[in-house]
Amino acid sequence: MLPKRFDQVSPFVTLGVIMLTWLLLPLVLKTFTRATFFEIQAPLTVADSYAHDLQDFWSNRLHSKDELLQAGRDLAGLVAKYDFSVQQNQQLEADILRLENLLNLPPLPAFRLEAARVAQRDFSGWWQRFTIRKGQNFGLTVGAPVVFSGGVVGRITEVHRYTAVVDLVTSPTFRLAASISGDNRPISYQGGLNDSFKAPRGNVEFVPLEINATRNTPRRLVTSGLGGIFPAGLSIGEITNLELSPDGLFKAGDVQLDERIGTLTEVTVLVPLNPEEL
Amino acid sequence: MRRHDTRWLIVILANLLLGWLTGLANHYLAPLSLHLYITGLLVVFAGLRVDPKQGFIATLLTGLLLDATMPVPFGTHLVLLGLIHATLLYGRRRFPREGSIFGIVVAQFANLFLFITLSFLLVSQNPRPSEAWLRIFVDLLVSQIVILLITPWFLALQSRVFEKMKIHPETGRPIAHPAS
Repeated sequence: MLPKRFDQVSPFVTLGVIMLTWLLLPLVLKTFTRATFFEIQAPLTVADSYAHDLQDFWSNRLHSKDELLQAGRDLAGLVAKYDFSVQQNQQLEADILRLENLLNLPPLPAFRLEAARVAQRDFSGWWQRFTIRKGQNFGLTVGAPVVFSGGVVGRITEVHRYTAVVDLVTSPTFRLAASISGDNRPISYQGGLNDSFKAPRGNVEFVPLEINATRNTPRRLVTSGLGGIFPAGLSIGEITNLELSPDGLFKAGDVQLDERIGTLTEVTVLVPLNPEEL
Repeated sequence: MRRHDTRWLIVILANLLLGWLTGLANHYLAPLSLHLYITGLLVVFAGLRVDPKQGFIATLLTGLLLDATMPVPFGTHLVLLGLIHATLLYGRRRFPREGSIFGIVVAQFANLFLFITLSFLLVSQNPRPSEAWLRIFVDLLVSQIVILLITPWFLALQSRVFEKMKIHPETGRPIAHPAS
């Protein structure tokens, strides 16, 4: 029989053995275990989202025919407007192609647009993430940019069988080479200033000294296109203040991000047509 | 015929239910920039009322389930929850294990320990860690209040499931019902 003192510490000995075994476990086994444990919980993660869709479906069924006709008329106007935009877009794309050939420029990264529903939001002080309802089944890839009508949402960090995890532009783990609209010099952007009950903010560094921004005269921050992940010109937010950095060589400051990121229900993933470019 | 011991599975399913409800709450709290983290509660029943071996299995698997859905190194919750569980087992004989009040106290301290440990591990990636602590403090406060409110319900839920399954959580023997 084991002595009483050992009997008392045996839980710690057991834990020590488990920790040691865990440390020695091959990485491939850990990765497999993680994927398995994620997929076990995936139906729970998306269940609420599907229930919400069903709720919307039945509430929409309650609309009268008059309301539907009115909505159809409004939609027809929008479709006509977007048709014109599509034509303009095609013309611009043809111009870009012509200039690329004329100047021997490398082609811009090409993307396929994939709309996806947000299944779960997870906004903590440590990380800011979405789980979306599309994954390997729709050919999503790790690193793919995610956008919405207001600009950058984030980038995909994990792709699972039917879901994917998006690291948001508001997250401290999100870094990006950005530039100020109308100025092509690169500056560094990082998310992560998320005070409770307030709109999310980000942080910019390495801003050239002659650039100024205040709350009354903010400067628009856009993606620079450097790094090859995000196309250039996508809106990130507005720089609302800039101060001299401790080294005195650059400025640093806050970026006010779009409040709608916290309530998004649908996003668009830019799936690269050539994933090796990422 | 050998009867399969499902006590660890009951605890894990209850933990999954609580994890799902917390995820739902966090989904709707996101626009307010609030976040609930109540993982400390998941170890209380397994650590205090279930057989040590079965409880340990349930706690370790719960840790892995949490690690799979959070952007932390895989194994973080396995180790942290395992440590809390081992500490509970160490003093288990001296604790008033059946009381809800004691369960609340354990859940509060366990959650505090997990929250602070995770914060120290993760806060350094924030561009301004000093500003991040204020947010972390608010999240911690809200989480502790929620734990205070739901611990009696969650412990009662698990006890009730064991009662319905007619299994004693500690011995694993069938519970004899006086009426039947």
